[in-house]
Amino acid sequence: MDTILAKDVMASTRRAFLSRLVSVGGIAVASAVFGRGFDLPVGGALDAGAPQLARYPEKKDLILLTDRPPQLETPLEYFRTDLTPNDAFFVRWHLSGIPTTIDLKTFRLEVSGHVAKPLSLSLSDLQAKFEPVSIVALNQCSGNFRGWFDPRLPGGQWGAGAMGNARWKGVRLKDVLDAAAVQPGAVQVGFRGLDEPALKSTPPFQKSLELDHARDGEVMIAYEMNGEPLPMLNGFPVRLVVPGWYATYWVKSLSAITVLDQPLKTFWMDKAYRIPDNPQANEEPEHLSSVTVPINVMAVHSIFVRPAPQQQLRTGQSYQLEGVATDGGSGIRRVELSQDGGKSWNDATLGNDLGKYSWRRWTAEWKPPAKGTYRLMVRATTNSGETQAVSQWNRSGYQRDVIEHVDVVVV
Amino acid sequence: MYRWKAAVVVAAILVAACLALRAQQSSSAASQGPAKGSMEQTHSIQLPDNAGEILPGPHMDTYSKDCLICHSARYVSMQPGFSKEVWQSEVKKMVNAYGAAIPESDQVLIVEYLVAVRGPQRAGSAATPAK
Repeated sequence: MDTILAKDVMASTRRAFLSRLVSVGGIAVASAVFGRGFDLPVGGALDAGAPQLARYPEKKDLILLTDRPPQLETPLEYFRTDLTPNDAFFVRWHLSGIPTTIDLKTFRLEVSGHVAKPLSLSLSDLQAKFEPVSIVALNQCSGNFRGWFDPRLPGGQWGAGAMGNARWKGVRLKDVLDAAAVQPGAVQVGFRGLDEPALKSTPPFQKSLELDHARDGEVMIAYEMNGEPLPMLNGFPVRLVVPGWYATYWVKSLSAITVLDQPLKTFWMDKAYRIPDNPQANEEPEHLSSVTVPINVMAVHSIFVRPAPQQQLRTGQSYQLEGVATDGGSGIRRVELSQDGGKSWNDATLGNDLGKYSWRRWTAEWKPPAKGTYRLMVRATTNSGETQAVSQWNRSGYQRDVIEHVDVVVV
Repeated sequence: MYRWKAAVVVAAILVAACLALRAQQSSSAASQGPAKGSMEQTHSIQLPDNAGEILPGPHMDTYSKDCLICHSARYVSMQPGFSKEVWQSEVKKMVNAYGAAIPESDQVLIVEYLVAVRGPQRAGSAATPAK
């Protein structure tokens, strides 16, 4: 059964999966669980007990990591739908001077630099002069899950909620660059938003993409999110959408696009948001990688949305396990679950396919066979065959791709 | 006399009910995205005050003066706990990478503060420092 693709199975798999799970004894499972060296994921929000919730404008109650600049995490309960509601979507800003008022009569997106025809575009210009396009894409912070790394790392202590899946509508960056007539010799495109540092000496937040990437026809300047204007805290009126890439590149309240004839020199590319130069962004605390590269395509990863850690389930009573699997643009081919600490694996049922840049929800019915503690594990495989790591660590807590687990108590 | 008192009570209940209804309406409005019609207007939000507590500890005045210009106290209070070495490198990062103008003498005091409030003795702290 393990070799059958999930999309071919569905109901019959679910029955087989159930019977397989039931066939594993509770006591043996419990010993296998404790025999493994995995640590319980503890998000930063959990360090001080229950997470503190806060209500921000255009938002529901979200987990408050920080207030100035704001970092708000989406509670897992909002990951039970294909698209994450705008008012539950996570928030992360770098600099304390974040935009809180936008006058669309005066707002302009400036396109300049190594171009023949610099542009100054209002929101109406963007909407009227360029062909609208739409895509479902996962937006995920580079440091999502930082609070789950061991040893722990300084920085935003995110749990699983620094991501969200949305339908973005806007215009192709390629079309805007073409209208500005990029000149020969251009190599990169730089992006800046309206956020400002408190001190003049702090580098303003800027990112860049290689010219070919910027012109691939997928990178988008988005003015709608799930059919509505972007919430202010998610980058109203327009933000960059870089499908498959971590959210650090999705510059919010985008105000300046600069075509460059040499690579952008900025702290935010040269020092921050860098990962060890290997496929799983892995290194050891005592042997830090000497070569780092800017973080880029999202790693394959999967999580449980339910049950919650230490949740009590009842023996013999069916429970629907749920979660999401994410990657950087290949698409999810398979999600597997284990109830015995990773010794045996069974396919979960994949949810709707909203495109290769979307996350993929998964479900599985589980009937706990006997009392005890169970370590449930989940791992995903992409269409290109990439799968998850058993262990991973890096100095910044970026690009998590570890096979995750949740420990539950069956009574 | 009693009738007059009863009228006051009824009026008070009515006022309270109106206020509650208004609060409910404004909070439900706050949870919605920007109105579609706002596309040609000025769109504004007002950030709530969630500054939170400055963890009490030695040299907290120095920490408040030098650090809280750029970020709030939650940037420290949300951390698990780290060694002196980690905190030293964090303070250096604020100075060298983020351009914070913190005198050397203050940097030493701030590290002492950070180790006191979020040091390695705290549960869930980093076993090994990341340099």
